[in-house]
Amino acid sequence: MSRRSALRLLGAAGASFGFSATLRSATTPPQESTMPPALPGSTGPGPNPYWNSVGMYVNEPQKAPLLLLTDRPVQLETPRHYFATAFTPNDAFYVRWHLDGIPNAIDLKNWRLRIDGNVTKALSFSLPDLMRKFPAQTVAAVNQCSGNSRSRFQPRVPGGQWGNGAMGNAKWTGVRLSTLLSAAGMKSGSLQVQFQGLDTGMGPEGYGSKAFLKSLAVTNPVLEDCLIAYAMNGEPLPLLNGFPVRLVVPGYFATYWMKCLTWIRVLDKQDENFWVKTAYRIPDTPRGATTPKEVKAGTVKTVPIHRMPVRSFLISPDGGSKIPAGMDVILRGIAFSGYGRVNELEVSDNDGKTWLPAQLGEDFGAYSFRTWEFRWTAKKPGRYFISVRATDKTGNIQPDEPVWNPGGYLWNRIERQEITVGVAE
Amino acid sequence: MKRPRSTKRLRLGLLVGTTSALLAAGTAGILCAQSRYGNYAPAALGQLDQAVPQALREDSTFSVSAFPLYPSELAAGEGQQETNIFCGQCHSTRYITTQPPLSSAAWEAVVSKMRKTYGAGIPESAAQKIVQYLKIHYSPK
Repeated sequence: MSRRSALRLLGAAGASFGFSATLRSATTPPQESTMPPALPGSTGPGPNPYWNSVGMYVNEPQKAPLLLLTDRPVQLETPRHYFATAFTPNDAFYVRWHLDGIPNAIDLKNWRLRIDGNVTKALSFSLPDLMRKFPAQTVAAVNQCSGNSRSRFQPRVPGGQWGNGAMGNAKWTGVRLSTLLSAAGMKSGSLQVQFQGLDTGMGPEGYGSKAFLKSLAVTNPVLEDCLIAYAMNGEPLPLLNGFPVRLVVPGYFATYWMKCLTWIRVLDKQDENFWVKTAYRIPDTPRGATTPKEVKAGTVKTVPIHRMPVRSFLISPDGGSKIPAGMDVILRGIAFSGYGRVNELEVSDNDGKTWLPAQLGEDFGAYSFRTWEFRWTAKKPGRYFISVRATDKTGNIQPDEPVWNPGGYLWNRIERQEITVGVAE
Repeated sequence: MKRPRSTKRLRLGLLVGTTSALLAAGTAGILCAQSRYGNYAPAALGQLDQAVPQALREDSTFSVSAFPLYPSELAAGEGQQETNIFCGQCHSTRYITTQPPLSSAAWEAVVSKMRKTYGAGIPESAAQKIVQYLKIHYSPK
């Protein structure tokens, strides 16, 4: 047992446990198996060896038990098995807030979505306005945290130590952002559209710790795809996922998908706020890759994070139990890309030496999870390394090299799962 | 160096902080009228809150219960109290315990970022103690 986990145990169980452990160690060596397990907390300095992060299951409002990263502000990860299907249930959808002043209550009688700034006519909309006055649009789109899989990085980087579960896919229904922007009329000289939700932090005015703000350039074609969603998988959004409305930016990382969206401001100058100028930026290099040495030298040019690179996952079997030799098993998983639909998924059972195509599931749209399956029979007992890789419409294929940048963003290396096949006769 | 505040004061600090967030939100305009913010309450692990039958009111306020706070077990040692108090102003100290072991330089950078970039009110003497504490307890052995 490491000193760190010992300390954690002492902290958790109190001094009396520490005392008795000390007494016992004076007479007989302590038996690891008789000790209470160390509380889950962290991994490292190597990569997190698990599929998910290592937090405990907790119960937050409107949520199924999810894996805790942090409790204030709330960050929760979705367990692996929820990704066996194309759509992630609302109550299992991961949660990531930046500031601890998360709304607990919203009075819809007073709540309005406001559009102002460099517009001809400032407008505000109640929830019924959004639901009734404009045509409803639905899009299936993956929402993935920029730092998903950060715990794979080597060397490790600070930040939320997500496993692979800071992602989810839903059918989002709402109003086109462009419809509302047209109604307000963007004036000439408009440069960016800024989004703000209801969350607020303890920090001083003008700091990123006070307000979370994100912007997209008015020339960015993704604005045409954006929805202001009031329904998620046909239901109201859980508050922790952004009730009453959140911005949906198909193909883009979740940092732009403003939760509890309340203010839309058209800016006639560049947004200089912390969350645009300093945070959520990636090296302007292939795959956003750099090295600690380059970062230290201060030579890394950065750009705001944008589209999600292609990824794929094996969801089941999860490697937790043996498979009898000679038995057919169906390997199942999901794939997605922010650069267009996944149209090829390959599986390897020899650690990437040879690849075979998998069967792709229903196509729910360019930015949705796409399920896949592959019938696999291991004739001989042994340890197998199953790898999966996806190719998207743009021709991007998942690489087998890790990526590194100081933010812990853009991980999309080919995933591996060790599977043990046992003797059946 | 002021005397470290007691745990009781820390809880008070949390309450005051929440209230000031509310007030600050109020100055932002209509916020107070439409929302309540940052309500957290201590919770026990393993407790499962089922959707109990309850009389929801048919008014226009859509609310959820307080967000649960779970005990965060910082390692005992010199600087623990400062870490609890000052880091805990804006976020739970679970942000520390869930990190991988970080180098001394990385911890210095984190504390410096909290002060300079995020404007956290941490006096220099306390910041030094916090960095020292993090280096001792949360760096690779």
